[in-house]
Parts: sequence; C-alpha cells; structure tokens
Amino acid sequence: MKYRAALPEHNDNVSHEHPLKEFFVLLAGAIGVIGVVYLMLGLFIDFAVDYVTPEMELRIFRTTDMIWEESGVQKDDERRQSLQALMGEVGTCLKIAYPITVRISESEQINAFAVPGGTVIVHTALLDALASKNGLAFVLAHELGHFQNRDHLRAMGRGIVLLAIFAALGGGGTDLSDMLVPVTDYETARFSQERESEADATALRALNCLYGHIGGATELFEVIAGSGNDVDFSFTHYFSSHPAARQRIAELHRLSEQLGFSLADTLPK
Amino acid sequence: MLDLYFLLALVVTGFVVGQYLEKRHYQSIYKRERALVNLVTTSSKHPVGDIPPVTDRRLVQGSVVVSVDYFKRLLAALRNFFGGNVRAYETLVDRARREAILRLKESCPDASQIINLRIETSSISKGRKNQIGSVEVLAYATALYY
Repeated sequence: MKYRAALPEHNDNVSHEHPLKEFFVLLAGAIGVIGVVYLMLGLFIDFAVDYVTPEMELRIFRTTDMIWEESGVQKDDERRQSLQALMGEVGTCLKIAYPITVRISESEQINAFAVPGGTVIVHTALLDALASKNGLAFVLAHELGHFQNRDHLRAMGRGIVLLAIFAALGGGGTDLSDMLVPVTDYETARFSQERESEADATALRALNCLYGHIGGATELFEVIAGSGNDVDFSFTHYFSSHPAARQRIAELHRLSEQLGFSLADTLPK
Repeated sequence: MLDLYFLLALVVTGFVVGQYLEKRHYQSIYKRERALVNLVTTSSKHPVGDIPPVTDRRLVQGSVVVSVDYFKRLLAALRNFFGGNVRAYETLVDRARREAILRLKESCPDASQIINLRIETSSISKGRKNQIGSVEVLAYATALYY
C-alpha cells in the first residue's frame, strides 16, 4: 500500500451550524424553564401562606425583635411613641391579628417596610419628608396593608424559592445563573409591583375610613416624583420593586374616583 | 440592570472578536497544512514504505494552549443545562489539535518522515469554577532523517 499525502476533504469534527442559532434556542429554553419553575413555586408559596396562621407567624418570627434591637434600630423615644399612637389609630380601620410595633431607623433613604413578626420600620428621611399626619397615616396603612395581604410572607417565601433555584443552577455567580438573573428579577419585580399596588389600595380605603377623606394619600409619592429619584418608565421599569411614583399617584386618583372618595385639607404632623 | 448590560457587552465582544480570531486561525491552519502536506506523517510505529538507512531520529513535539471566548463559554454553560453535544467547544479542540501537529511539523522541516504521532489533551482550568475554559494539546512523534 502506498502512502498518499492528502488534506481532509471536509472537517467532520466540528458542527457547521451557526452558533448564534444554538445560543438563542438554548437561551429561550432555559428562560422558559426557569420562568415557569419560579412562577409555579411562587404560586405554591401563595397557596402555602394561607396555611400560616397569624399565631404561627408570630411564634416563628418573635426572635426577629431581638435582631432589630441589636442592629441599632431605635426602640423608644417620643417620636416613635407618637408614630405608634398613629399606628393604633390606623389599626382601628385596618385590623391585623397581632400587635404591630413601629421602629424608627436612621437613614437618608425615604423608605418604610413591613417585616415578619409584626414590625414596621420607618426611616427618618421619610418622617422628615412628610408634612402632614394624613400622609404619615397613609404610609403606615400601606405597611399594614402588606401585613393584611401577607405580602411579607409571600416575599420571604419567594426569596427562599429563588435561593433554591440558584443553588440548583450551581450557586450564584456562575455563567448560567448570571444569564438567568434578569428572568427571575423580572418576575420578582412584576410580583412586587402588584403587591405594592394592592397595599396602596388597602391604604387608601383605610385613610378614608380614618379621616373621612383621602387628603394626604399621594403626599409621599409627590415627594418622590419631585425628587428625581423616581423609577423611570423606560426599560428599568420592568426590574423595579415598586411602580413609578407618578404611576401610583395616577392609580390612587383613579381608584378614589371609582370609590367616590373625596379630598379635604390634611392635619399637621 | 448594570450587570445585565455588562454581561451583554461581554457576550457581544466575545462573539465578534472570537469569531474573527477563529476564522483567521482556520485560514492560517489551512495554509500551513497545505504547505506541509508532503512531509509524511503517520501514527504507525514503523516507517512507511521502503526507506534508505536512517541517519538520525529525534523526538519532536508541538503544543498549544487555546482558550474559548466568553460567548462560547456561555453557550457551553447553557448546553450543560440541557445536555447534548457541546458544539461550542468542538472548534476549540479541533483548532488546538491541528495547531499542535502543525507546530510539531514546523519544528523539524528537514525530517524525511514522522512516525508514531500521538496526541494528548488536557484541560488547563480543571474543576475550577468560573475559569475561562482553555485546553492544551500536546502532539509528539519520532522524526526520522535519511
């Protein structure tokens, strides 16, 4: 047999399909799978939350009180007590099955949140930004709305689900998880915005019940919209935890018109 | 949001630059393979054909390390999710094997024949997470002079 020098006619060791095609097919598949898994588990959380009674919730999260004390979140002073008293007033219109404690935290960020265990944390910047008692009552009612709708548990459950999903993908910070973060971020934001709007609606009803009118309901959102820190309506809007302030104002106006609520002067703080 | 733009920039850069470099590398491979095609190279332990007495024999080798671009790395990560042929890495190892053999041949242009050609492949970033995947291919053989 004679040796004959020759080059291969074609290369069978590599695929000749365009890599972009493979990339988009696989990416769409992964987005679909992760999106559906997250959505389903999220719905399961909503289902499970109904089985957590307020007593159970309080027993589980009683220890969180300690954390706030240790982390330097202020426990007691005059400002807190008046806020707590206002919370009591709002509570007459918005019943929660367990006592709610208000805590004030020193922060430049205009914010307030409801945390499991019946704690509402209000940032000092938010207190400074509001001029009326009604505006403050709306914020507290909004946080109570989260408790009433069990949003704190839903958000926490979804957080655990997310951790589980990313652990299954090989932990955060891998190529795959980096690529799929926008998918879960989008769904998290969509869900969160929906819960925020729901809490706004609950708060609007409570404010009307408390004062007989809804003056001051949009005070905070007007401050945020005027500060230039509002969520813009472009692309980032889809990944934000809260709807844009201007959008919330419009939604509140629409809802109050629908429910026949009226506007009147607000009380000073 | 910034993370996403950053990732997107890396993927696009990886794709554009990676495709360009790969194309250029293949062109160089084709050209050099044509130039060296007449140097008899086999994996046989015995010389090919009837040859005059051998005057010299030498161990020759060529090696290369090739890395994948960011786009291909992501493509492979996606592929790991579903399973199947990791096509993204096929050109990586193909280029590395052919480049290693070319370097081996270029190291002994005066040889009469190359026999006993062997190829070894090893992964550079074995088992380490989040490392750019790169591969080393070592080709070694015996060059005969007559």
